[in-house]
Amino acid sequence: MSARKIGVYVCQCGGNIGDYVDVDRVVEAIAKEPGVEVARTAMFTCSDSTQQEIITDAQERGLDGLVVASCSPKLHTYTFRDVARRAGMNPFQYTQVNVREQCSWTHTDDHAGATEKALRLVRAGVNRTRLTDPLESIVVETTPKSLVVGGGIAGLRAALGLAEVGLSVFLVEKKERLGGWVSGFKEMYPHGRNGGELVAGLESAVRAHPGITVFTNAELIAKSGSFGNYQATLAVQGEQLETIQVDVGSIVVTTGFDTYQPDEGEFGFGQDGVVTIAEFKQMVEAADGPLKYKGRPVKTLAYVYCVGSRQPEYEEGANTYCSRYCCNAGAHAALQVEALPGKVHQYHFYRDMRTYGTFELLYSEALEKGSAYIKYPDQEPPVIERDQASGRVTVTARDLLSEGEEFELEVDLVVLMTGMVPRENEGLTKALKLPVGQSGFFNEIHPKLRPVETVVDGVYIAGCCQAPRNLSESVQSGLAAVTQSAAILKRGTAELDPLVATVDLDVCEWCGACQDTCPYDAISLDQHAGKEVAVIAKTACKGCGGCVPVCPANAIDLQGYTDAQIRSMIDGMLGVSCA
Amino acid sequence: MKYDALVVGSGIGGMESALKLGDMGYKVLVVEKESSVGGRMILLSKVFPTLDCASCISTPKMGATIHHPNIDVLTYSQVESIRSDGNGGYHARVRQNPKYIDEAACTGCRLCEMACNVAVPDEFNADMVSRRAAYIAFPQAVPKKAVIDRAGVSPCSYECPAGIKAHGYVARVRSGQCDEAFELVLESTPLVGSLGRACYAPCQDECTRGELEGALPIRQLKRFIADRRYGKDAPSNPQLPEWNGSKVAVVGSGPAGLTAAWQLARKGYGVKIFEAAPQPGGMLRLGIPAYRLPNQVIDDDIANLTAIGVAIETGTKIGDPSRLLEDGWNAVLLATGTHRPVRLRVLGEDKQGVTTALEFLRAVKLGEPVEMEGKKVLVVGGGNVAIDAARTARRLGAASVDQVSLESCDEMPAHDFEVEEAKAEGITLHDGWGIDHFDGGERVQTAGLKRCTCVFDPDGCFAPEYDEKMRKTLECDLVIVAAGMGADTEAFALQTNPNRTLKVDSATLQTARPEIFAAGDAVTGPSMITQAVGQGRRAAFMIDRFLEGAALDSAGFEDNLPRVDKLEVLRRQDVYDRREPLESHAVMNAAPVDFAETETTLTEAEALEATSRCLDCGVCSECHACVDACPADAVDLAMRPEEIEVDTASVVLATGFKLFPADAKPEYGYGKYANVITGMQMDRLLAPTRPFNSVLRPGDGKVPDNIAYIMCTGSRDDTVDNPLCSRICCMYSVKHNQLVMGALPLADVTVHYMDVRAVGKGYDEFYQQAKDMGAMFIKGRVAKITEKEDGNLIVRYEDVEGDGGVVEAEYDMVVLAVGVQPNLEVAGLFEDGALALDDYFYVGEADEDLDPGRTNLPGVFVAGAASGVKDIPDSILHAGAAVAQAAAHVERHKAMAEPKAKVTV
Repeated sequence: MSARKIGVYVCQCGGNIGDYVDVDRVVEAIAKEPGVEVARTAMFTCSDSTQQEIITDAQERGLDGLVVASCSPKLHTYTFRDVARRAGMNPFQYTQVNVREQCSWTHTDDHAGATEKALRLVRAGVNRTRLTDPLESIVVETTPKSLVVGGGIAGLRAALGLAEVGLSVFLVEKKERLGGWVSGFKEMYPHGRNGGELVAGLESAVRAHPGITVFTNAELIAKSGSFGNYQATLAVQGEQLETIQVDVGSIVVTTGFDTYQPDEGEFGFGQDGVVTIAEFKQMVEAADGPLKYKGRPVKTLAYVYCVGSRQPEYEEGANTYCSRYCCNAGAHAALQVEALPGKVHQYHFYRDMRTYGTFELLYSEALEKGSAYIKYPDQEPPVIERDQASGRVTVTARDLLSEGEEFELEVDLVVLMTGMVPRENEGLTKALKLPVGQSGFFNEIHPKLRPVETVVDGVYIAGCCQAPRNLSESVQSGLAAVTQSAAILKRGTAELDPLVATVDLDVCEWCGACQDTCPYDAISLDQHAGKEVAVIAKTACKGCGGCVPVCPANAIDLQGYTDAQIRSMIDGMLGVSCA
Repeated sequence: MKYDALVVGSGIGGMESALKLGDMGYKVLVVEKESSVGGRMILLSKVFPTLDCASCISTPKMGATIHHPNIDVLTYSQVESIRSDGNGGYHARVRQNPKYIDEAACTGCRLCEMACNVAVPDEFNADMVSRRAAYIAFPQAVPKKAVIDRAGVSPCSYECPAGIKAHGYVARVRSGQCDEAFELVLESTPLVGSLGRACYAPCQDECTRGELEGALPIRQLKRFIADRRYGKDAPSNPQLPEWNGSKVAVVGSGPAGLTAAWQLARKGYGVKIFEAAPQPGGMLRLGIPAYRLPNQVIDDDIANLTAIGVAIETGTKIGDPSRLLEDGWNAVLLATGTHRPVRLRVLGEDKQGVTTALEFLRAVKLGEPVEMEGKKVLVVGGGNVAIDAARTARRLGAASVDQVSLESCDEMPAHDFEVEEAKAEGITLHDGWGIDHFDGGERVQTAGLKRCTCVFDPDGCFAPEYDEKMRKTLECDLVIVAAGMGADTEAFALQTNPNRTLKVDSATLQTARPEIFAAGDAVTGPSMITQAVGQGRRAAFMIDRFLEGAALDSAGFEDNLPRVDKLEVLRRQDVYDRREPLESHAVMNAAPVDFAETETTLTEAEALEATSRCLDCGVCSECHACVDACPADAVDLAMRPEEIEVDTASVVLATGFKLFPADAKPEYGYGKYANVITGMQMDRLLAPTRPFNSVLRPGDGKVPDNIAYIMCTGSRDDTVDNPLCSRICCMYSVKHNQLVMGALPLADVTVHYMDVRAVGKGYDEFYQQAKDMGAMFIKGRVAKITEKEDGNLIVRYEDVEGDGGVVEAEYDMVVLAVGVQPNLEVAGLFEDGALALDDYFYVGEADEDLDPGRTNLPGVFVAGAASGVKDIPDSILHAGAAVAQAAAHVERHKAMAEPKAKVTV
């Protein structure tokens, strides 16, 4: 059993680990464990040079197991599996031990304790590795087709992008018409283009492309199958409701956002003379002369920013995030108003003017053209009141730029710069098992490493369903999802982890408990040697292990995390070597 | 080479582009100008808003980029030009700069870096610390291979006619490696001691420090290393080279002959030198007075040769060299110098008491009796030899020494310092006078002088004109004529030039008889020692090639890089310490009575001080320490750039951005106040590979406890022509706030901001978190920073959010949140104006709304911050957008190419 030859590499991660954990001590102790052929420290184990060192060690010493003690497996599992592969080892005989997030960072005040814990964690990893079997990835052929859910600007562009790289596309839009929000916009910043025309051009390209099938009045209601080969069920409302099943390799979700709907009375909302930016945009764009509100001329105008955004976190259900677009939109709206005949005095009540990047030019121009900016304190938002008798609307606020002086401004119209909120989409969220973040938008796995990927393999998110974005940014993320789809589907095959549950058919006495617990519909009833047994579809199984403990006969084991391995890891943590 | 996509730049946008295209199955070439992929992100500490370690995010992408089966990477390379191939694709020329390291052999062990003797500012640590000339960019570099930074050949080394690596031995001495410095000079010539004294040091004339406070005493440093070596008891055991079976005869033991013999012997040839004089050394021995070059030093230099088996036969004058060939020598080198005096051709020149400088100096140097006591000596000539003769006569007890020179003092060929030293020793100079005749009986008694009005004709030929009316007479007992020297070559029966020098091919130094080569003054006429040494080296190189049967071309001999531009070097010295040159070491005596040296050896302290003044012009000093240190023999200084032609269906420009140069806001004092740093420098101070392993202020190493951030440095600022918001500075500053408060829990952090632009997913929450941790935010642009004596900084601003009025706050460190500028290099990749830029000189996007990342050129895309400032997540998404369209372009390109191929079939 201890004929195994395991290489152990303990990372300093610059100082992230090394400053708190005595890695030399860990290595010294672990080197004595049975089966450990070589144990070393490294400044950055993930660096190319250490990767090379591991490969050299493996080849010179014939390693058949690898333990890397560094950061969370979320970061580098694939990195070191690849190292193992290049070194001629089986990638599944490698164990990642997390001594950073779960050790050094958590115990910065206790170096001795952190070192002891690291040693135990690494020993557990060595014990697990000793019991690993060489596993092979499950290779599946992928379907070179994609489903795009949501026909707004991001979805349209993504559909076209997918088709242009040679993938077949199904585009599903819940509404009757394609185009989403943008189709309703006229002049858009920063290039002054007409949203409706942009959508129209894109829609005709999408409809003309032979590789794209468009379903409007349609929704995704169910998804089955596994990574690379999903079956999506669409409910299409035609003359009658019909369901259609399509086979796709990836799904791109671009379901967009909703605008924040203020509560009655919030910033004076609901009263005459108070409108949202969405309503105001339509007013300005419909104006064929001086700006009017309900037939009354608008001479003085107040914009109030951060309505529904950057709400204090102590408020129940607060939108703590910044909606990103509103500052730019406010400056742009002010410029549109300036372009109308007649002078309008425009006052902007803001907290931070976030006209990032080139949008600063909009802000500068608005300032130049006479817009006044009043910075109100985070904790004291402006108060908007309407005198019911006179119909006068006043904004009362403190201006931090004038030594915090409080003043009252009588205005003809208040525009609430309402932010973006996640769209209610419970059905889709459930059907795709999409992860939802704290702010209610769909969550990517990692904003930098895997920015359009979700925890559901092959299901990608883009546009404003992920986070507030402007037009170009939404399109960018839509195209990034195209890229991610193509990177998976153009190859024709995909590899799945073999870390799946297996049933010992001789032991299984079908009771159905495992099937009930499986969240991925991977377990079904089958016949074996004249009895009913459970079988697990390995391409559908995600290796969550949920079925293992519920089996009364203990017939299920999880590859890579067998009961024996788990027990050995516990022993390792308790200080026992399992040679 | 044919690719589907060329990705220019390997920062986060470039890597993301390449990896995704590679994953799709396209063949990708990545060109990166640095020696490692990774761009700027890998240099950061952590990244907002997740506070992931930048290394942890970057390194796997870097490794994946390099190892991807569909991706080729050229690091340390530059795209020089990209042009359309007329078929929807592009043709690119890529220059692969030499790393001077065999990448396949290099193991990244860093021994070369440890050994390197040159330190320059480390751009990968924002210039806060030094790196070596041989270096690996940073610890996580991919590929982890060394490069040697060579800006060119340093002027001193470049100017040396002997090919001595002057910068190299200066750098060696600086590191206390005197023996190694000596060995480095030996690579060129064995005459270390002689050159350390008698060389006229053209290197020093070219020393870039000469443009500042004064040149380095490069010659004296050579003397220093020679004297240290020769002062030791036993010379180190020389390794006798194994005889290669061939024999070379060298005729003449002057600098050329000795150097050639040395070089050939080190290559394994059996070498014998035939010398006509009773002692070896040629002009070193016979022409240079002992107060400049003592015999012992010449002996020591020559012992270098004899120690490796070179035989020297003195007192043997060779006639016809072909006889030597008949005697079994495989080749002969004639290096017999110029020992024939040139006559004045004036009346009375044959009288007794008229001699030549060559005869006189030779007699003195060989210890023959010379009657001088009480004599009135007249030296004729204005060159260094005349000065040598005059000063020698002075030392032998002459009653007076007068020197007559045709040229005026300014035009005299002798070096100025020689003339000055001669005057200091009491020699009377009659400049601008010529000899008309000598008078007297059998012996000379007077010299008749006439005024010389012009020495050279308009073509620069020697054609003196005189004012016959202006005359004077000087009394003299002894006349020493130093009117020049000529070659004495008649006996060789070889073709000669009109001035009797030997006729050779100037490149190969071969005579008409292939086995016979000639070098040194016998070929060039009288020259400097270093020129003769250079000739000797060249001759040895050619003789070796000749005897090896190889073609006699100069390839491989003095294949120098171009000389580094001195102005460029001076520009690098933005902030340099003033370092005064050494005082002169010559000890002048108005009435010298012996041949003691007038100059002393540098002390060790002086030598180290002198070398510390070196500006390391060429960066690499060619000291060869890395060559010695590399266990894999991977250093190859002969590498040269390679041009690579690439065809590609598409191009992705991921050339990133530049940071705003903080010194362009002089009111903030960056570069002037030591404790004002940039955001990038703070990122380095906080990074896991941080230079000081702690956050401290650069001025005095103090751990700061009150740090200010100045936002919008170089952004939203018309005074620096950048009205744009740089977008990343708010967030990286907020990130710093949190990291600083983690690293220095007691430190206060204050941010002077205009607007805090936390606009991404999770960004505002991140900003609130910094505030919750205790970061202070003060609205208002900072007007001015001044420095206090203790290095603390006074920040002056208008307190708009508080009580108003101008406020001065004191901090012990200020971080300038510098903004972003476009990388203008990208436009130059394309033919004039082909690539459209936007109004602010970022790469333009033809349709930012619907096709973000597409440029005006079909098939050319832009990814990341090259199209305008973006943070990391946005750069990655933008790259994804560019890649989707690049892939679509490649698909169209392929579809177009296929039917065409069928037609041609």
